[in-house]
Amino acid sequence: MPSYEIGRLLRAGTTGFIAGCSVSQFEAPAFGSLVRAPLGDDYQVYGLIYDIHIDDDGLVRQLVTAEHVSPEVMKDNRERRIVPVEMSVLSAGYKQGDRIQHLLPPRPPLSLDVIFLCDDKELVQFTDVGRFGYFRHILRAKDAPIGEMLAAHIQQAGAAHGQLSDRWKEAATQELITLLRDDYPTLMSVLGALGEVF
Amino acid sequence: MTLDFQQVYQKIKEIGATVQQRKKTLEERRAHARFLLNLHADNLAGLRYKIETVKEADPNIRCALPLQERLDHHSPGPDLPSAATLIAADGSQINPDRHAAIQYGLVNVGAIILRLNSNEAPIIRTDSELLYDDELYTPSGNPLSEGLVALQRDLKERAKLLVLADEFGVDGSPVITFTDGPIELWGMRDGEDALAFEQSLKKYLSVLSQLQQKNITTAGYVDKPSSDPVIRLLELTEATDDDLKKLREFHPLRGVTDRWLFGDGNVALIKSGERSAVFAFQSKSEKYYNGILALHFFYLNVGTDRHPTIVRVEIPKWVVDDPEKLNMLHAVLISQCRMLGARPYPYLLHRAHETAVVTHEEKQQVDQMLMSELYRSGGEIDEGSYKQSAKDLAGRTGYRR
Repeated sequence: MPSYEIGRLLRAGTTGFIAGCSVSQFEAPAFGSLVRAPLGDDYQVYGLIYDIHIDDDGLVRQLVTAEHVSPEVMKDNRERRIVPVEMSVLSAGYKQGDRIQHLLPPRPPLSLDVIFLCDDKELVQFTDVGRFGYFRHILRAKDAPIGEMLAAHIQQAGAAHGQLSDRWKEAATQELITLLRDDYPTLMSVLGALGEVF
Repeated sequence: MTLDFQQVYQKIKEIGATVQQRKKTLEERRAHARFLLNLHADNLAGLRYKIETVKEADPNIRCALPLQERLDHHSPGPDLPSAATLIAADGSQINPDRHAAIQYGLVNVGAIILRLNSNEAPIIRTDSELLYDDELYTPSGNPLSEGLVALQRDLKERAKLLVLADEFGVDGSPVITFTDGPIELWGMRDGEDALAFEQSLKKYLSVLSQLQQKNITTAGYVDKPSSDPVIRLLELTEATDDDLKKLREFHPLRGVTDRWLFGDGNVALIKSGERSAVFAFQSKSEKYYNGILALHFFYLNVGTDRHPTIVRVEIPKWVVDDPEKLNMLHAVLISQCRMLGARPYPYLLHRAHETAVVTHEEKQQVDQMLMSELYRSGGEIDEGSYKQSAKDLAGRTGYRR
């Protein structure tokens, strides 16, 4: 399975986990990306990135007041200093053997487990299973910017579907309308965000 | 309540009652210091002669000795070199603690190497040396004191600069190295630890000589310097023969600092980015640091004109003798300090400190590793003292010794 390591697990729960990486590693993962944490025994947890967070510290606060920050100092702070990029991930499902399920994982990944970014093939595999069961987890995540997250995810997953992109996006939107039929404010917010990606 | 606030409050009120009087005295002394500086600004030969006279009365006198530049000289910041290798080192230590279950010490030196305009991330190096068993005693059999561990740390900092300069100064560009604190090695020259100090000093001087032979610029950066050698020089200009007999008690300008003299906001002698004249250090250390290793210094305003920040930069004579080295060091330090914005301090020294510092958690980790290894190998482990055990009890915290 192709593997693009994006970081390691800092802390986790059943509904989500936090991965950390140094800034120099921080290239590929984007808001809304599907990631996976392999836990051995043909078991892996899938999740969607809903927040990317970079903490400051005293030195960075001082550097921002300086008139000029040289490229060497920029690289020092991004590559050498221990200031991790934290990615919050919402659990979206898991894979046991060859079977993907859009249920919360039976157990969360453990500290320092490696987190990988899913490629297009994995993204298509994950999103084509069942009928968008993982949307339930997204719509329940009150701390996440749901509309923006869905828009980012649908845009990325739609692109991964290639020629079937429009059909997949159409089906995803229909499912969201169905799930949110009793929650008009959230539906409007989600459709507003989706309008940006269609 | 362990503090008698009534007594402390009484003293604070007394301090408050004398503030105006002390302020007036300080202002008079400052005005006099300024007068003396102006009076002797170009009397360099006269000042040097005076110091020679004073040395006859007290050979250990510590003050500034003017060279060729006027006392009120100030040089603007030169341009930063287009290419140079900058190396900064800093150290920290764990002192042996007789109250702990296991006796050990640790010296940790962190260094950072940055190539100017290279577009490359700096390189970080750390050297950690655990001191155990016989290493915890001086040659004369005394337990290693905090001062002697600090001495080892200072020696290792400068030695690290030499090693790294050898490794990274190979592209022909100038190499500029610096540490935090005075360039002079501090320690007890007398008493039972004198031999240990002498040994360290010998190695330190050897390192300095090698830095000189390899054409490497080296410096000590003293933030908020507490000694005032230029003020002391001005005081000595007024010393009479009677005063010379009691020189240690002769301090007519007490309270006036070199930092004020060079950086007073209203009439700052050295403007933002400028350096002062270069002075030699007159002190009893000159018998060790002599010839090309003789200790010198200048002041640098790393702040702004409105908020001057005066620091002392200590350098050996070979750097003074080479205007190009002196200018590059001046430019590099100003540039480094400006990187930290409103609280100027050399960026690389801060990073070296970050690299070197041993955190409480790291110390606990070393305690644990050492204890596990001793248990595993059947070694003997003492108990921590009951005094320490009582101090470690949860509950009230405070300043205790």
